Amino acid sequence: MTTRNVGQPFVRRDGRAKVTGEARYSYEVAVPDAVYGVLVTSGIAKGRIVEIDTSAAEREAGVLAVISHKNALRLPGEPHLEGPDRVVQALQDDRIRYSNQPIAVAVADTFERAVHAAMLVRVNAEVAAHTVRVEDELHNAFPHKIMAGGKLQEPDESHGDVAAGLVAGAARVEEAYETPFETHNPLEPHATVASWSGDRLTVYDASQWVFAVKKKLAKGFGIPPENVRVVTKFVGGAFGCKGSAWSHVVIAALAAKQVARPVKLALSRHQMFGPVGGRPRTRQKVAVAAQRDGKLTAIRHETVSPTSRFDVFVEASALQARHLYASPNIESRHRIVRLDIGTPTFMRAPGESSGSFALESAMDELAHRLEMDPLALRLASYAEKDPADGKPFSSKSLRACYQEGARRFGWEKRPRTPRSQTRSGQFVGMGMATAMYPANFAPAQALARMLPDGSAQVESGTIDLGTGAYTVFAQIAADELGLPFEKVRFDLGDSDMPEAPIAAGSMTAASVGSAVLVASRALRDRLIRTAIVDSASPLHGLAPIEIRAEDGRLVATSGKSDSYVELIRRAGGKPIEERGKTAPGDEREKFSMHGFGAHFAEVLVDPDLGTVHVSRMVGVFATGRILNARTARSQFLGGMVWGIGMALHEHSVFDEKLGRIMTRDLSDYHVAVNADVGSIEPLFLEEEDAHVDPAGVKGAGELGLCGAAAAIANAVFNATGKRIRELPITPDKLL
Amino acid sequence: MIPSSFDYHAPATLAEAVALLGKYPEDAKVLSGGQSLLPLLKLRLGQAGHLIDIGKIPGLEYIKEEGGMLRIGGRTRESALERSEIVQKRYPILVDTAKVIADPIVRNLATVGGNLAHGDPGNDHPATMLALGAQVVAMGKSGERVIPIDKFFLGLFRTALQPDEILTEIRIPAPVEGSGGAYVKLERKVGDYATAASAAYVVIGTQGFVERAGIGLTNLGPTPIKATAAEKYLIGKKPETAALAEAARIAAQATEPSADRRGAVEYKREMARVLTGRALKKAVERAGGK
Amino acid sequence: MGTVSINVNGVDFTREVEPRLLFVHFLRDVLGLTGTHVGCDTSQCGACTVLVDGEATKSCTLFAVQLEGRKVTTIEGIAQAGKLHPVQQAFWDKHGLQCGFCTPGMIITTCALLDKNPKPTEEEIRHGLEGNICRCTGYHNIVKAVQEAAEKLPAARGN
Repeated sequence: MTTRNVGQPFVRRDGRAKVTGEARYSYEVAVPDAVYGVLVTSGIAKGRIVEIDTSAAEREAGVLAVISHKNALRLPGEPHLEGPDRVVQALQDDRIRYSNQPIAVAVADTFERAVHAAMLVRVNAEVAAHTVRVEDELHNAFPHKIMAGGKLQEPDESHGDVAAGLVAGAARVEEAYETPFETHNPLEPHATVASWSGDRLTVYDASQWVFAVKKKLAKGFGIPPENVRVVTKFVGGAFGCKGSAWSHVVIAALAAKQVARPVKLALSRHQMFGPVGGRPRTRQKVAVAAQRDGKLTAIRHETVSPTSRFDVFVEASALQARHLYASPNIESRHRIVRLDIGTPTFMRAPGESSGSFALESAMDELAHRLEMDPLALRLASYAEKDPADGKPFSSKSLRACYQEGARRFGWEKRPRTPRSQTRSGQFVGMGMATAMYPANFAPAQALARMLPDGSAQVESGTIDLGTGAYTVFAQIAADELGLPFEKVRFDLGDSDMPEAPIAAGSMTAASVGSAVLVASRALRDRLIRTAIVDSASPLHGLAPIEIRAEDGRLVATSGKSDSYVELIRRAGGKPIEERGKTAPGDEREKFSMHGFGAHFAEVLVDPDLGTVHVSRMVGVFATGRILNARTARSQFLGGMVWGIGMALHEHSVFDEKLGRIMTRDLSDYHVAVNADVGSIEPLFLEEEDAHVDPAGVKGAGELGLCGAAAAIANAVFNATGKRIRELPITPDKLL
Repeated sequence: MIPSSFDYHAPATLAEAVALLGKYPEDAKVLSGGQSLLPLLKLRLGQAGHLIDIGKIPGLEYIKEEGGMLRIGGRTRESALERSEIVQKRYPILVDTAKVIADPIVRNLATVGGNLAHGDPGNDHPATMLALGAQVVAMGKSGERVIPIDKFFLGLFRTALQPDEILTEIRIPAPVEGSGGAYVKLERKVGDYATAASAAYVVIGTQGFVERAGIGLTNLGPTPIKATAAEKYLIGKKPETAALAEAARIAAQATEPSADRRGAVEYKREMARVLTGRALKKAVERAGGK
Repeated sequence: MGTVSINVNGVDFTREVEPRLLFVHFLRDVLGLTGTHVGCDTSQCGACTVLVDGEATKSCTLFAVQLEGRKVTTIEGIAQAGKLHPVQQAFWDKHGLQCGFCTPGMIITTCALLDKNPKPTEEEIRHGLEGNICRCTGYHNIVKAVQEAAEKLPAARGN
C-alpha cells in the first residue's frame, strides 16, 4: 500500500464550514414548522410529584402544550438498550429520582415563550429523604461487573499475595485519594430536533452514536428501527456525555408526536448538571511497596464510586493497576454505591484519568520515601509483558516515551527537595506520571463508492466530535484507492449509513478507520476484477497481483493502465460500491493492547496565596500509527489541558442538603481558559503495530488526559512539599 | 434562559430616565452595561417590569481630569477605562482593577457605574474606590447629589442610591506627589470573582512618612470593606516592611468573610492579610517609596 | 413588542421583537444566522461573540432592542466575496479548532483584538481571548492561529 496520504498533516476537511459559521449543529438544522421545547426540571432530589400545575403556562400566548407525566403519551416500549445506554426519565411516572431530573416540557412557538411557560409550571412534590454523599452509603457498597473496552470485566482481580508483598518492601505507601464529581461540559449543550412523519421519525441529535439513539427511540416508541433516522453532522464537543440518548432525546420525540410538530429542544447549561451524566466522585485507596532498588513488591488499588439508584455506571479507576507495572502481587477492587443522583457516565478517559491520579500519586510518594527519582522507580518496575495475564503487548514504547520526555522536559533539572527552587517569588516544582489507555476496537462498517467522475465517496455512520474523522478517513480511503486526497469525500453522521460504533473510547480511528480501509480495499479489488474481465481494458487478462492503484488509475507492473473514469464508463457508467466490515479478532486474545505515554509537568506555586500555575507540560506518547499528525496532536493538547482542569479546577460541588449540584454553570464550574494555560508540548513516537487493528491505530482522544493530573499534583508536591490527595488542588488546600 | 417580560425604555435624556424611574418606583431597573443585570434577569434571580436603558443618553461616557478630580462618567465602559491614557499614566490602580474584571469582551459592555451601583461585594471597583476616597454623583428627581464612597455601600446589593437615582459620575481625587495605589486580586482561575482582593492607596510625604492611606477589600464581607483601622495605623509611619505587614494584619481583622466554595473564613482572612500586604507594597513602590 | 432596526453584515433588518429577546436569539431564530452559538447562558463562554460597531460583544448578554441603529458583524459577515478573512484562514490552517462550536466567537474576538493590537504578545493573546472558552483544543493552536493571523493581516489589508 502506498501511504501518500495517511500520516500527512492535512488541514481539517470541515474547517471551512466551521470558520465561516456554516456548520450546522443539531439544533440549527432548518426543519420547517419547528416549535421549541423547554424542559422543566426537578428542584428536589427525591420524591413524588403530587401535583403539577401547568395551567398558567398553558394560558400563555403561543404555548402549544405543557407535557408532564399527567398527560404524556405512554411509551409502548421501554426506551432502554443493553450496554452503555442509560436509563431515562421520559415523563412516564410521578417519581423524582435526582435533582434536575426532567419532569415536564413546555412547547411553544418561540423559544422565549417556551422558556417562560416552563418557568410558570408549579410543582408540588412529596419530598423523600435523599443522599448524595458516598459516605452515607459505604455500608451498602457492592461490586458490579465493569463495561470497559467493549467487554465486561471483573470488578476484582488479584494475583500473588499482596499482603505479604506490602510487608516485604523496603518502603511502602498506603494512602487514600479522592477525585470529585466532574461534568463534561462540552461547549455545545445537548440538543435534539425531532420530527415525525406518520410513524417515521427523523432526529437531529447532538450525539456520539446515532445508531444507539435510533435503536432506543424505535424501542421506546414501538416502531421498527428502519423507521427512525438519526443525523449528527457536527457536534460541539461531547467527551462522553453525548454517548447515550438521555431523557431529553426521548422527551423531544415524545413532545413532537404529541403536538404533531417538529420540536427543537436544547438543554440550558444549568440542565447539563445531573440529567446527562458526569464523572462520578471516586474514593480510592492505593497501597504500593517496593524494594530498595525500586522493584515493586505489591500494588493494591481499591476504589468506590457512586452510581444512581436506577442504573449502573462504574468508574473503573483500578483497572490500569492490573496492567501498568510489573509486580508479583497485584490486587484491584471496584465497589459502587447508590446515591440519589443522575446516573454518572463515561467522561473522557473514564477510570484511567481518575485512577491514574491515585496510582501515579502513590508511585510518586513511594519514590519520595525511597529517595529515588520517580522516573527511575517506574523504570525499575517496567512491565515487559502484561502483568495481569503475561500476554505480550502488541506494541509498547513506554521506555522511549520516558526517555524522550525526560530529555525534552529537562527532567534532570528537577528540584531534589521541595521548596528548594524559586522563580520570581514562586516555588518551582516538577512532576511526572505515566499515561496508559487501552487500545479499543469495536465492530464497524463502511461503504466505499467509486463515482463515474473518478472520485470516491466513502461513508460510515460515525461522528466527528472535532477529532478529525471527516479528514482522516478520507486519507485512509485515498491511499487504498490510489486517489489524491481531494478526490475522496468522506461522509458520516447518519444512521442510514453503514453502522459504526460509539465515537468514544478512543476507538473511532481504529474501528472506523479499519472499516474504511477494508471497504476501500474491497472496492479497489472489485475495480481490478472488473478491469481484468473487461476485454476493452488494457488490463484485460492480467492477474490481480500485477495491478496496483495509483493517481486515479489501475496500473500494471508492465506499465499498462486503466483509469477509473474509463473503467466505470465501459461498465455502464454507474457508481461501483463495496462495503467493508471489521471486528476484533483473535489477536485481542493473544496480545495486551494499550497506548502509553509519559507526562512531565512544571508548576509555579505562590507560597503565600497557594495559587498554582502549570507553566510547562511535555507529554510523549506512543499510540500506534498517527493518521494525521495535526488532528492527533490537537487531541493530545486538549487532553493535557483537561489534565490541568482536572488537577486544578473542575469540580461539580453538591449541596448535600438539597442534593443538587451548586456549581451548575461555567461561572462556578471552572474549566481552564486561555490565560490559565502555559506551554503544552505533546510529542508522538510512532509505532508499527501489526496486531492491534487493520489501521494500526491505538487511539489518541483519551491518552493525553491519563496521568496528566497526577503529573501536576506530583509537581505541586515537588514545589511545596504538600501532598494533595484530593482533587482539585485549589489554593486553600496548599496553605 | 430568558428574562420574564418587561417594558423597555430608552430615554434620550437623563431627566427622562429619572422621570421613568420615578414613575415605576417599585418595578424599574436601570440598564447600564447589563453585564451583571442580564445574567440576573435571565436566571430569574431578579425581575423588573421596566428596564430603563441609559445607553442612549449622551454624555455619560467620559474620563477626564477636572478641578483636581478624575471624573469618570457613570456609563464609562471598563474597556475604555483600561485603555485610557490618562488612567494608564496617572491611575494605575484603576487599570489593575479594570483588567481583572470578568473578561475583555464583558468589559467592552460592563460599566464602572454599574460595577458600583450593583452593590455586589464581589465586584472589584468598590474596594478601589474606597481606597481612593472617591465620590459618587447621583442624579434624581430632586437633582444631583454627591455621595462619599464610604457612605455608599449599605448592605448586600444595597447602596445609598434612591430608587429614582442614577449614578452619573465617579470622582477620584487626582494623584498628588508621593501617592500610589494598587489592586491585587486572588481568583481561583482567570476571570473569576475574587476569592479576596485588596486595594491600597498611600500618600507618602516628603519626609518619607505616610500622610494618607486607603485600604479597600473585596468579597470579604456583606459589603465592600474600608479597612479604617489599618489606614489609621499607617498614618505617620514610615512605609517599611514591618509597618506594612502590621497594617495588613489589622486590615484582615476588619473582614467578615463567609465560608463558601472559595474557602473557609480563616483562609479568606489570611488571604486578606497577604493581599493587603502585597497591595500596600506595590502602592508604596508606585508612590516612589522604594 | 417593539420595532428594532439593526444593520447586520451590511444589511438593514427591521423586525418586530419582544424586549426580552436576546440579541443572540435575534440572530439565530429571527435572522437564521446560526453561526453565532449559545454555549453557557451566563456570559462566560464567548461562543455568542459578535462585533457591535467593531467591538467584541457577547450577544447573549444584550437585548436586541438595545442595538437600535447599530452595526453588527457576525461570523457570517467576516469573509469577503467568498474569500476567507485571514483570521478565518489562520484558524483553519493552524488547527485552532476541533469541534468548531467556539470557533465563530474565537474568530470574532480575534478580529477585534488584532484591530486594537495588531502585534500582540502571547500573553496578550491569551488574556485577550480569556473570555472565550474552548473545551477541545487546549488553546495552544488557537494562540498559534492568532499569531499567524497577526502576521498575515497587514498584507491582506494592504490589498
